[in-house]
Amino acid sequence: MKRDHNHLQPNPDPSSLRGAPSTGKAKVWDEESAQQDCGMDELLAVLGYKVKTSDMAEVARKLEQLEEVMCNVQDDGISHLASETVHYNPSDLSTWLESMLSELNPPSTFDPFGAAGTAAAALDDSFLVPAESSTLTTLDFDNINRKHQKSGQQIFEEASCSDYDLKAIPGKAIYSQKTQPQTHDSSSSSTPTNVKSEKRFKSTSGPPSPSDIFPPPPPPAAASYGIPTASTRPVVLVDSQENGIRLVHALMACAEAVQQNNLNLAEALVKQIGFLAISQAGAMRKVATYFAEALARRIYRFYPQNPLDHSFSDVLHMHFYETCPYLKFAHFTANQAILEAFEGKKRVHVIDFSMNQGMQWPALMQALALRVGGPPAFRLTGFGPPSHDNSDHLQEVGCKLAQFAKKIHVEFEYRGFVANSLADLDASMLDLRPSEVEAVAVNSVFELHKLLARPGAIDKVFSVVKQMKPELVTIVEQEANHNGPVFLDRFTESLHFYSTLFDSLEGSVSSQDKVMSEVYLGKQICNVVACEGVDRIEGHESLTQWRNRLSTAGFSPVHLGSNAFKQASMLLALFAGGDGYGVEENNGCLMLGWHNRPLIITSAWKLTNKTTAISQ
Amino acid sequence: MNYGFLSSFFQKDLFLVLGFVFECLKERGMAGSNEVNLNECKTVVPLNTWVLISSFKLAYNLLRRPDGTFNRHLAEFLDRKVPANLNPVDGVFSFDVLIDRATGLLCRIYRPATAEEPEPNIVELEKPVVGDVVPVIIFFHGGSFAHSSANSAIYDTLCRRLVGICKAVVVSVNYRRAPENRYPCAYDDGWTAFKWVNSRSWLQSQKDSKVHIYLAGDSSGGNIAHHVAARAVESGIDVLGNILLNPMFGGQERTESEMRLDGKYFVTLRDRDWYWRAFLPEGENRDHPACNPFGPNGRSLEGIKFPKSLVVVAGLDLIQDWQLAYVEGLRKAGKEVKLLYMEQATIGFYLLPNNNHFHTVMDEISEFVGSDC
Repeated sequence: MKRDHNHLQPNPDPSSLRGAPSTGKAKVWDEESAQQDCGMDELLAVLGYKVKTSDMAEVARKLEQLEEVMCNVQDDGISHLASETVHYNPSDLSTWLESMLSELNPPSTFDPFGAAGTAAAALDDSFLVPAESSTLTTLDFDNINRKHQKSGQQIFEEASCSDYDLKAIPGKAIYSQKTQPQTHDSSSSSTPTNVKSEKRFKSTSGPPSPSDIFPPPPPPAAASYGIPTASTRPVVLVDSQENGIRLVHALMACAEAVQQNNLNLAEALVKQIGFLAISQAGAMRKVATYFAEALARRIYRFYPQNPLDHSFSDVLHMHFYETCPYLKFAHFTANQAILEAFEGKKRVHVIDFSMNQGMQWPALMQALALRVGGPPAFRLTGFGPPSHDNSDHLQEVGCKLAQFAKKIHVEFEYRGFVANSLADLDASMLDLRPSEVEAVAVNSVFELHKLLARPGAIDKVFSVVKQMKPELVTIVEQEANHNGPVFLDRFTESLHFYSTLFDSLEGSVSSQDKVMSEVYLGKQICNVVACEGVDRIEGHESLTQWRNRLSTAGFSPVHLGSNAFKQASMLLALFAGGDGYGVEENNGCLMLGWHNRPLIITSAWKLTNKTTAISQ
Repeated sequence: MNYGFLSSFFQKDLFLVLGFVFECLKERGMAGSNEVNLNECKTVVPLNTWVLISSFKLAYNLLRRPDGTFNRHLAEFLDRKVPANLNPVDGVFSFDVLIDRATGLLCRIYRPATAEEPEPNIVELEKPVVGDVVPVIIFFHGGSFAHSSANSAIYDTLCRRLVGICKAVVVSVNYRRAPENRYPCAYDDGWTAFKWVNSRSWLQSQKDSKVHIYLAGDSSGGNIAHHVAARAVESGIDVLGNILLNPMFGGQERTESEMRLDGKYFVTLRDRDWYWRAFLPEGENRDHPACNPFGPNGRSLEGIKFPKSLVVVAGLDLIQDWQLAYVEGLRKAGKEVKLLYMEQATIGFYLLPNNNHFHTVMDEISEFVGSDC
């Protein structure tokens, strides 16, 4: 019987397949897999699990051990593993199993934070169960939810709710110190999700709850095997109507003409796109329009203005922040990682490369304020580009944050730096204190890719970051390859990326926010398509590429865990059209996607080798 | 039945197995209420398969709560997923399509890259298939109605294999899962996907300008395939064949295989019960026709143009009596069915290409689909 197994891996030896039974048949397969690279079991690797063949027996032993322990403890022990334990990087089976084993052994005393030295909370309903920092909303919501759990409505998980109070996340409510409920987010369609949002936003005011917060224990130092993967091009088609396809065809044809420098043809096609776009509905029309405009600029060499036009950018940024979850997800997940890294530290310093209006920080400060043992002294250094109206924009932001800090009783220090590029930064400017005295976290949300336009810039920044000796570096970037050398490839990739992004905006409730967000993204589109060289700052690169850069530069991954995942997922449900958003865990990073297409990724890093930082 | 040659493998290992069984008997005293005999199942599957399925079992135990709710966030966190990929890998590329916005129903489409078009162009994803007869396999992933997704790595891998083996386009349906979405959501989503596939002109075979549809699935996916097929033929649309891998069926009574194999090979009766309770309408028992299509509340398929079926049953699967009853039900109604009984196979044997059952089944599937030219 013929068999076409060329596509399978590894290629088994045909003679050993059939009719040649031997006692060690299982072994034959394992040996073959062992020949593959790094000694990683390749069959499991394809399925997302990283287990060295030489470790297989050990992993099996751990599984058996866990099974045994789970049989012997009562049901509580197991449910604790599910509801309270924070899981990290499930791809690394060995470490994952080990961490569960250490949670269950010894099973008698329930003290998961013995090592961390903080007292475990009593398991009281009104208390926050350790390790599960949680819901973004007030306790009211959680009570409602608990009642609904049994009735089979949308299930939002469990009884464990900590008061990691991220009320600030819904936006202006806390930050501007007014208590406006975000009613505009909650109106509209009849889906249950939206009805729930209305309930959730009812009580946005109120002092931070005095309940405990237990940041989870630091993640196990898991080695990330990092099997290099070829780049993937994920695509989701959300609009397969006839006109949509023709529009995409025309856009691609035009881009191709531009690439071939056939500008007459390109010009004709751009006009055609204009006509086709009019007959198209929804997201596709807007995306096509922006891409067409960008193509036109390229054809007519009418390049966009200096992209560092920040007064308007700020407004757009804020609307984008409100409309869709991308920035909130970024802030939220980065904050979670920072909170974990700052555990036990008395003085902390956040260096933010992406200051903007400082919207990320109230939530972190609040969580720090509610920490057991009290908040650390919190220092914030923010970077931003110069303002066009000569106002000291960064200073204003700092003042607002200082007022907020005072309100929540957190010792606060602030410094703003204006710079055209992060590459202008020098560690000496920062007044860094010894790392034993003050823990540093560096944060960058959608900023690093801008450095790729200028040769050497990213390396300079990495080297400066290392000099800061950070506990943690949090990076959020678009999951896209918009930085390749071939124009047509960049065009194609970005067309799909922004189509997906625009589609996710369609469900937004506030039309003003939506329009502003589209303009915000439209500027990025323009930059990707129409600009070149140092002006093309929207040089997004994929996670694989960032991982390579960062590990070459001397950084190692720090994993984000199941608690951050869960809370991020719950955050997403607050947004209209929430169903399409999804969070995925990938080797310790958290990805936010729309209908399974990954769009942005939060990753966290630490210095591979702290001591060498001094010499760089 | 195609299991003859496998028993020789079994005989060679008899002493090894007996030795382990002896060990197990010694250790049986320590087993708690969830009596699971790990050593036994370790002897019948390769070690990496054992590790894989045991990890799933462990994770799944954490996710199911005694009160019938499900830890969906942890489930999504733990599930290993892969994105769609326009770059062909081993000759297959994939892309996702949102086919129903109201329910958020996604399907992942897998197509073979062609020699003429080794790097698929984004505009040509829905380019017409080329060929007199191009099978289109609508695949429903397993997970007992509660677990996994179309983009789970195990199913992405399996679907890619099917493309190569059958020279087919595969459409993997990301149906809504229990317990958040009970019966009939999964079937409705299957039906929506079926109609969508059937109405794509680019999926039509050139011979007759029709879409040549096969339905396939493992575990709960196999169950869904059956029910979607029934609905299809009722609506007068042809299905060329059903491929059911370890399909999930059940019933109210306890069968011999359920009692004999309970807890022995990764699966317990208790967890099976949990999943049925999560999927079936509240208050219904396992003789509901969704679970037990040929049971007391079932319906005969006599006189209905039900497609031919290829049903794969693993000999170490505790629900095999129900699967065999299903096959019997098809036969009694005069439907064409081929049973592949894999004597020494456990659940999930088709997830890794490291055992004979895997290759046997893949060959049979290829033949089953290929025989319609």
